[in-house]
Amino acid sequence: MHNNGHNPYKPTPMHIVRAYYESNDRSLKTLELVFDHQADRDEFFEAYNPGQFCQLSIFGKGEAPFGVASAAWEGDFVRFTIQKMGSFTQYAHQLQAGDAIGMRGPLGNGFPLEDWKGKNLVIIGGGCAFSTLYALTKHVHHPQNRPDFDQLVVIYGARTSGLCMYKHDIQSWYQRDDMEIHQAIDVPEEDWSHHVGYVPDVVKNVAPSPENAVAVVCGPPIMTKYTLPVLVELGFAPDTIFTSLEKRMKCGIGKCGRCNIGSKYICKDGPVFSLAELQELPDDI
Amino acid sequence: MMYILEKKKLNKILSTWAQEHEVFVPQKVEEYSQFLPYTEDSELALKSPHNTRYPPKALFLPQSEVMLKFNNRTQKYEEVNTTPKSRLVFGVRPCDAKAFRLLDTVFDAEDYADPYWKAKRDATILIGIGCEVPPSTCFCTTVGGGPFNQDGLDAILTELEGSYLVQILTEKAETLFASLSPATIEQEKQVEAIQTKAHDSMSPAFETDGLKQKLDQIFESSYWDKISESCLGCGICTFLCPTCFCFDIVDEVQRKERVRNWDTCMFRIYSQEASGHNPRPTRRERTRQRLMHKYSYWLDHIDEIGCTGCGRCVRYCPVGLDIRAMLRTANTHESEAVHA
Repeated sequence: MHNNGHNPYKPTPMHIVRAYYESNDRSLKTLELVFDHQADRDEFFEAYNPGQFCQLSIFGKGEAPFGVASAAWEGDFVRFTIQKMGSFTQYAHQLQAGDAIGMRGPLGNGFPLEDWKGKNLVIIGGGCAFSTLYALTKHVHHPQNRPDFDQLVVIYGARTSGLCMYKHDIQSWYQRDDMEIHQAIDVPEEDWSHHVGYVPDVVKNVAPSPENAVAVVCGPPIMTKYTLPVLVELGFAPDTIFTSLEKRMKCGIGKCGRCNIGSKYICKDGPVFSLAELQELPDDI
Repeated sequence: MMYILEKKKLNKILSTWAQEHEVFVPQKVEEYSQFLPYTEDSELALKSPHNTRYPPKALFLPQSEVMLKFNNRTQKYEEVNTTPKSRLVFGVRPCDAKAFRLLDTVFDAEDYADPYWKAKRDATILIGIGCEVPPSTCFCTTVGGGPFNQDGLDAILTELEGSYLVQILTEKAETLFASLSPATIEQEKQVEAIQTKAHDSMSPAFETDGLKQKLDQIFESSYWDKISESCLGCGICTFLCPTCFCFDIVDEVQRKERVRNWDTCMFRIYSQEASGHNPRPTRRERTRQRLMHKYSYWLDHIDEIGCTGCGRCVRYCPVGLDIRAMLRTANTHESEAVHA
């Protein structure tokens, strides 16, 4: 994407249409944003690919990067799920429907969907990092996109059932005959009928086949670290395992310097990398 | 084309240019020099070997720069005018001029162009001055430059007795000197000798052949502990560096401005994440980032070293850390088995 003389630091004016808590402890809140101008909307959806992120901008509070949690076909909005962490996210959690907000993006490469056509997809997520994988799953679900991919397996773990995101929608995935869904929580709870345990162990148990498959892993660093070897053990080749990385970012367009790992900038060369690509980079994560 | 600019005519020509351009020249500030707007009272500091302490990159990437003006109540914003009036920077050293060209590959990249940088670059003419007697901290020739390197300049001056010889390098500079008399063959020969002598006076500071590969190899070794041991983490090596470009973006609420400020990989908070995780928690990783960026990652990006050998980091480090010594040590550091 080239900025064609536009100022890439200018946030696109947006409004919040829906804001709701995603978790029972109110640490996760989803904001759905709509564009103030039709032209911005068109430009965004022309460029957007699942796996990309945006810089949300609140004047007076600054900017912070968040993965997009919606697929283009879902409607004229862009969804983000935000974990309350610092001053920006604290403030973002107070926003309500009707409030103005800025957005820069889509940024980064997103998932290489073209390369994945005709393959089985194994989607593995943990915690709030599942948001871009939710976007990916929604993208694949669309009747026009579904034939592009073969089998679909989703493994999604959270610490507790209360922290499971997109609950109602994911519940309906159990009824679908075109996918497998495996949800897991860390410790047993009453009324929980799905997996219990950490994501790497669940992946080991589910044992998705590497045959004509790609695996995508997004989660906290510790989960990713222990899940990648499990996939390798299952027979996934390094160029069929993908993950999305996060780093502290400011500009989002490869100028401000801080998000590099070796000579790659997470913001513009990533955030999605294959394990084969990561193995080429120094250990600076 | 080459012209002779007599030193006694220098102020006159600067005043003439100042009518059409905003002219910046190195001027004395305390015991250092710095690029400041030219006035008739300006005390010029052009004499070789002194480069300015504060790097002229600040003319294109200011230490603090307003990007947008906002109203935090309505969340509306206005753009600021990024296009300055025509500017002329006189007395740029070749190391700094080369740095502008290197930074163009970042700020005027094919994927995203930075309008703030680009507008200032497009509006600026760069007149350089070569270094007849390069000081001991300089090492431009080691990293592919030279004391009379023309890279990035529109014209370059060589100091003669009582005058400067001006070599015109681009169209931008052509009309500026047209009123002067051309140089004689003897003067041209004299200048050639001065330039060659200056170049030859600089011996290689360290070996660059295979240096990148070596640094990549010792990424996890104890080398980084050793060379970063006495670092205070003050960041002066990066702030004064002509090729360092990292910045932070912050909202100044009182001023209602979104501002970008120089930042540095030498600070802990630079890469500190909201979760508390920091990929570069100690001086070891931060020093490694600084050196790897210049001597490995730049080469991956554009196949050039991202250091122009200006020597500011050597001259102004409060504990006397010397990047040349660091790199010589890297070259001789035995690779360690860091993995089982």
